[in-house]
Amino acid sequence: MRVLIQLRPSAEIVAAVLDPGVTTTPADVADGLPGVVLDPSFTPVAVPRPVPPAGGDPLSMNQSMTFSLAAEDASVLVRGEIADDELAARLPLLSAYRRDVVGVFSDPVIEPNITCGGDPPVGDWHDVERLLDVGGLAEDGLDGAGVALAVLDTGINLEHVVRHLGREAVLDKERSWMPGSVDGTPGAFEVDHGTMCAFDTLVAAPRATLLDLPVLLSRRQGGSALDGLLSDAVAAFAHLRDVLTAQPEESRALVVSNSWGSFSPRWDFPVGHPGNYSDNPAHPFNVIVASLEQDGADILFAAGNCGRDCRDGRCAYPDRPIVGANSHSRVLSVGGVDVRNERVGYSSQGPGRLSQRKPDLCAYTHFSGSKAFGDDAPDSGTSAACPVAAGVVAAVRTRWPATRLTPGQLRVLLRRTAEDRSTVGFDYDYGYGIVATKGIRDALRRKACA
Amino acid sequence: MLLVTVRLPPEATLTDAMEILGLSQEEVDIGYGLVSIDPAHGLYVLRVSEAAARRIDPATGTGVYSDPPIEPFGPPR
Repeated sequence: MRVLIQLRPSAEIVAAVLDPGVTTTPADVADGLPGVVLDPSFTPVAVPRPVPPAGGDPLSMNQSMTFSLAAEDASVLVRGEIADDELAARLPLLSAYRRDVVGVFSDPVIEPNITCGGDPPVGDWHDVERLLDVGGLAEDGLDGAGVALAVLDTGINLEHVVRHLGREAVLDKERSWMPGSVDGTPGAFEVDHGTMCAFDTLVAAPRATLLDLPVLLSRRQGGSALDGLLSDAVAAFAHLRDVLTAQPEESRALVVSNSWGSFSPRWDFPVGHPGNYSDNPAHPFNVIVASLEQDGADILFAAGNCGRDCRDGRCAYPDRPIVGANSHSRVLSVGGVDVRNERVGYSSQGPGRLSQRKPDLCAYTHFSGSKAFGDDAPDSGTSAACPVAAGVVAAVRTRWPATRLTPGQLRVLLRRTAEDRSTVGFDYDYGYGIVATKGIRDALRRKACA
Repeated sequence: MLLVTVRLPPEATLTDAMEILGLSQEEVDIGYGLVSIDPAHGLYVLRVSEAAARRIDPATGTGVYSDPPIEPFGPPR
């Protein structure tokens, strides 16, 4: 987290900060603050001391005051960063360790144009192609050919996908699956959210083979017309295990893209109850996720749209909205950035509930792509970011099956090569950074030569 | 309805699970069936009514879990 640290150094240092003829650096003011990475680009700023009137309340800001910039009165602000997972411990210890630390304050992003739901598209899917250097991936033979890419969603309309991509796409009906309560044909569902997801997987992996699993169309008892039930996802994952184990072991490759989750604890047992889902790795769905990953599948989940800046109105968890399998240690949890590399305001922030370091990374969203929701509507939500990242994973799998690079090793590779958006590595906004293919390609070339 | 896990030998059927758990056809989602979630450990899951789930004896090594709705993450509303 980026922070502003207010210090009261010696009067000589304050005088230097105040003197426009003298150059001072953050290190002159605040050198040696443990666990704080100072921002050298931020010139220390003197802050005047509020002086109450004679006889006034020394602790009240609600009175007429004067402000003193005298060197013996003023304090100084510097900017730095503290690792998100150390904030709670470091904040109280800093002022105890250093008597010159007056306070530590958040330094939130104040961009006026952070992307939110309802905003028009930011760029288009060709920008995403360019940012992911899809041409470079193809040069290395990483185009998804022969890789099974399962989209668990509302069903795919392949004709729409092909029309808007402007090229052919492959969907395997035989290995697709649907809950018993769903009528339809794989690849021929109404254009909706699942079609958007399928389109977005093919941006980076144009030759991947789509598998259509419309779990969100379930009409099972206890569900509604607009959602599915977690039990349908359990059954879908059991089918995918059969798909995976039917593949020859030496070429095993299955990528599973999940742009869905639970918005509310209302239908769940409370946290701590043995039947709970959100925080319980022993829940059957969390077990089957671990089991499928163990067998060699790459599983990606959207982080969710409950980011603090402009959360989806359905978000009902009071905090830590990355829940259940979306926060599983054996999946990649994907947040969203726009093509300007800025986090979209609705992208859920960590920590996760099953595993704290979530999201793992971010991928592109809120661009004009599939037009599944209309010509002017973007492919949006972390719903779009997840399949974009899944496409990158499928591209890698073209030449790197799970026997050569386990799902765990591939997750480490993606985290290590992500474009870091902070100065301290992992943070709860971007995870390890934005998925970046250059580092992936370099690392794979090195590994191939080893 | 709720999810109930049960440990069974390989190739077990829904009928086997219902017999062990003492469940009738009316209490079980027959269409959902018996789903293997961890073959290495013989762990299966089935959907049962809340009343039946409450009746199941935990000593049989079973677990009772929530089955919450799931929704697409987009477009943000």
